[in-house]
Amino acid sequence: MILRMPNPRSGFWGALATALLCIPKGADAQTVGHSPREMVRALEFEELRFTPPVVRKEMLSSGVEVLFLEDHTLPLVTLYARFKGGYALLPRDFYAAATALPGLIRSGGTQALSPDSVDHLLDFYALQTAFGGGGESTFSSLNTLTKHLEPAIQLWGELLGYPRFDSAEVEIWRGRQIETIRRRKDSPGGLAFSEFNRLMFGDHPIGWEMDLGDLAPRRLSTETLGTVHSRIFCPEHLIFGIVGDTSWETLEPLLEDMVDEWPACSAPLSEPRVPEMRREAGVFLIPKDLNQSTVVLAQPGGISQGASDDYFASRIGNSILGASGFNSRLVTRVRTEKGWAYSASSLWTAPSRYEGIVGAVTQTKSESTISAVQLILDTMAEMKTTPPAETEVDRAVSQIVNGFVFNFQDPAQIVSRQMFYLSQGLPEDWLERYIRGIQRVSPKDVQRVFQKYVDPEEMIILILGNPADFDLPLETLGKVQIWEVPGVPRGGWLGAPAMPSRW
Amino acid sequence: MRTPLFLLLLILTQGMGLRAQESPGEALPVLEHTLENGLRLFVLPRSGAPTVSFVVQYRIGSVNETPGVTGIAHFLEHLFFKGTTTVGTTSFEAEAPLLREMDAVHDSILAERGRHAPDSLRMERLAARANDLAATASSYVISNEFDAILSENGARNLNATTSSETTSYFVELPSNRAELWFILEADRMRNPVFREFYTERDVVAEERRLRLETNPSGLLYEAHLREAFRVHPYGAPVVGTMEDLQGLARRDVEDYFRRFYGPNNAVVAVVGNLDPARIREWAEKYLAPIPPGQVPPDVEVKEPEQTRERRVEVVFDAEPSLRIGWKTPPATHDDAPALAMLASILTGGRSSRVYRRLVLEDRIATSVTSGTGPGSLYPGLFSIEAFPRSPHTHLEVEAAIYEELDRLKETPPREIELQRVRNQLEASDVRRLSSNFGLAVQIANSETLYGSWEKTFSFTGAMEDVTAEDIQRVVRKYFRAGQRTVAVLVRETTEKGRGR
Repeated sequence: MILRMPNPRSGFWGALATALLCIPKGADAQTVGHSPREMVRALEFEELRFTPPVVRKEMLSSGVEVLFLEDHTLPLVTLYARFKGGYALLPRDFYAAATALPGLIRSGGTQALSPDSVDHLLDFYALQTAFGGGGESTFSSLNTLTKHLEPAIQLWGELLGYPRFDSAEVEIWRGRQIETIRRRKDSPGGLAFSEFNRLMFGDHPIGWEMDLGDLAPRRLSTETLGTVHSRIFCPEHLIFGIVGDTSWETLEPLLEDMVDEWPACSAPLSEPRVPEMRREAGVFLIPKDLNQSTVVLAQPGGISQGASDDYFASRIGNSILGASGFNSRLVTRVRTEKGWAYSASSLWTAPSRYEGIVGAVTQTKSESTISAVQLILDTMAEMKTTPPAETEVDRAVSQIVNGFVFNFQDPAQIVSRQMFYLSQGLPEDWLERYIRGIQRVSPKDVQRVFQKYVDPEEMIILILGNPADFDLPLETLGKVQIWEVPGVPRGGWLGAPAMPSRW
Repeated sequence: MRTPLFLLLLILTQGMGLRAQESPGEALPVLEHTLENGLRLFVLPRSGAPTVSFVVQYRIGSVNETPGVTGIAHFLEHLFFKGTTTVGTTSFEAEAPLLREMDAVHDSILAERGRHAPDSLRMERLAARANDLAATASSYVISNEFDAILSENGARNLNATTSSETTSYFVELPSNRAELWFILEADRMRNPVFREFYTERDVVAEERRLRLETNPSGLLYEAHLREAFRVHPYGAPVVGTMEDLQGLARRDVEDYFRRFYGPNNAVVAVVGNLDPARIREWAEKYLAPIPPGQVPPDVEVKEPEQTRERRVEVVFDAEPSLRIGWKTPPATHDDAPALAMLASILTGGRSSRVYRRLVLEDRIATSVTSGTGPGSLYPGLFSIEAFPRSPHTHLEVEAAIYEELDRLKETPPREIELQRVRNQLEASDVRRLSSNFGLAVQIANSETLYGSWEKTFSFTGAMEDVTAEDIQRVVRKYFRAGQRTVAVLVRETTEKGRGR
């Protein structure tokens, strides 16, 4: 297949020409015809011809699907394992264990190897590993020099399939987690974002925040970890992705051997819970004596991932509002024009199974906090009252379409993207459908989705900062409620004595 | 069936042998070309998707600054995205006098602010005038047009960064649009306009608040360097002090740019699926006509020798953290490979000595890291940063770190500890070649700092040659109490902190 760059809606040169037409003729007479602007305009680009590598799909005898991309550029192989299942598909009782699971698979030893032996083996072969979780899924990756592929896969299989969850390592994890809870309040941005999730999603896994109750010994023990492991790390939940300097003939027996004796899942996982999001507007304050406020504001966003017109229009709308950096309205207004923030951005999440949220975040000095919030809300409101300019939509589309080739720059990225599509039930050609979908979006479509889903007057606004120094009373934005952060004295830190050393 | 593990365990008793060949990075087919104006061009063609990574790096950073103008290189990095005489404006001719008038008003504001008793009414009038002028000037401005042109062409990774010794600008483009980069980059090297100056100054102030003033780690880092370097510019923050930022004038920045951002002080690295002949042709066409500037003088200021331990406390509403730094030679010194190796032996992963002791055995810290910095060209610090785990104190953590260093002074590291790091170096020698962008950064950085693009790759070879005795020698030589500076972040000041 030859990949030809799809044309944007009206083409890049259409977009740029439109932008340039806004410039008064003869503005810079001495350079007209020779200026860089003119040179840029005169450029003609050759067609970009490129044959994207094809990902091979295989299946092991246990039914595990494998996506494999052969790439001999460097003597390296990267392996990914993605498992369905994580804390979001288990009851709260398992929250700590499911959160700890990836890390303790790495550090807790295996049935045959002590934690120290695992450390030594990983070091000796210079293996690069990663273990993590995303609520509804758990994943691991392994990167190795080709010459160590066989022992690397053997060791990885041991770690993933036969973990020990050494009790001393569990205690170390618990202790570090308790310290993480203590330190949570030290990062204004991190605290504001996680507290906003709690505010917005309540008792849904997205809103969960680890507390000491979660870390009780019965909820985080070798046995509990084993139970969680047996519900997630089983062949029916697994997808492999592999990229690098090897062949399927080499890989197949190693992978077969790796998962051959893995038992089936011990119990089914829960279905993903649809969150009951907060819908009533409000202004919430976490008081903290800092010279810069963190602002998070959002509301239910009405959009989920899928090939709908609204979905594609919301992607372009979000890009124009605040998700495309310096090309977006929020950065232009809040940062470039006002100098009120280093960053300002919008978000319009679109999970695959339920609606996401739409909103914005920024950090701004105390003295511009309220003005910045008002400017963000006004900028959102404009998206409802007036469709964006054709040039804005063209630019957002051109950026994606002309940069399409970057989706194939990194072979590992190609494989992990296909793994994601497979795990989410998206078609293999979702990327191409996405590109086609956004090319259909018109300015009116963008206005329509903002009118349908976004109401700046109904935003849930959380501000972490010191209201005594705000430019205007916080009440200007609406009725204010103090948002209680667990472990923090009522009323926050302002004027409070030194924090107790223990919670 | 499950794999027998005895095969895996065998390797614990075997070494993989010392590496005798050059790093694969040194063998890269990098093409070098110096333009007549002194700009050094490095081109590396690679297979893969048709994309190209561009890095232009200037050998100038915060180390070249003097008290009163700290933060100027970083601020200039921001301003370099503001366009040129033709990009980012509808009429520079109309804009230019407004910019000059704005500068004059801001000079008056600064002068008034500096008076013993500023006249608040006059300040208000001046501020109103500045706002009016900014509004008029903005009617000619096309904000962020430089960014927009590149983004519309599918650019990725458009950004810049400033360090102690370098400033880098980078972007990636589809291969067929490579010429666009040359046109735009040459334009801003030659004709930049630092418009929107005063609002961008406020943006940098917000960045400073974000990275340093509301961030415990940033605060501690700044205080640590300030205490360790009382004379040398390594002691000043890259972003600048708030006071210096507020005092920077547009002409200061313009003058700085004219002097030190000439092509003879720049390195360009281009890596990707490209035609080297055309890259060279475009470099000659667009970059070669730019006149050279001055080369910033070497920093002559020398930090006086430190003979007594220094301690500083930062009082902030956060859990405690700790930084200890020992004075060490620059990255060009013969001991640099041993010090880099030492960092891995001390804190590189779960098997490393200090991590193991603090986090896994004594469980008195949640994490510990180490490394050298803040720059490469002048004597700096080998720093260890740790986060105590309550109820353990920074003093306990500090004592344990010293014990581990004392152990190394008594007994050199075991061969297996060195082998572990050597094995990782062998793999990282390959991994570091993975991305076009990563390669462009490494080539540009190595050339800018050391005058040799291969140096960064050969350095790992020098590390692999480090012996256990070398490690012991550098620990004994540099890790003395009198050469260290300790910074702790605490919620309330302590007697010990007050007494120093």
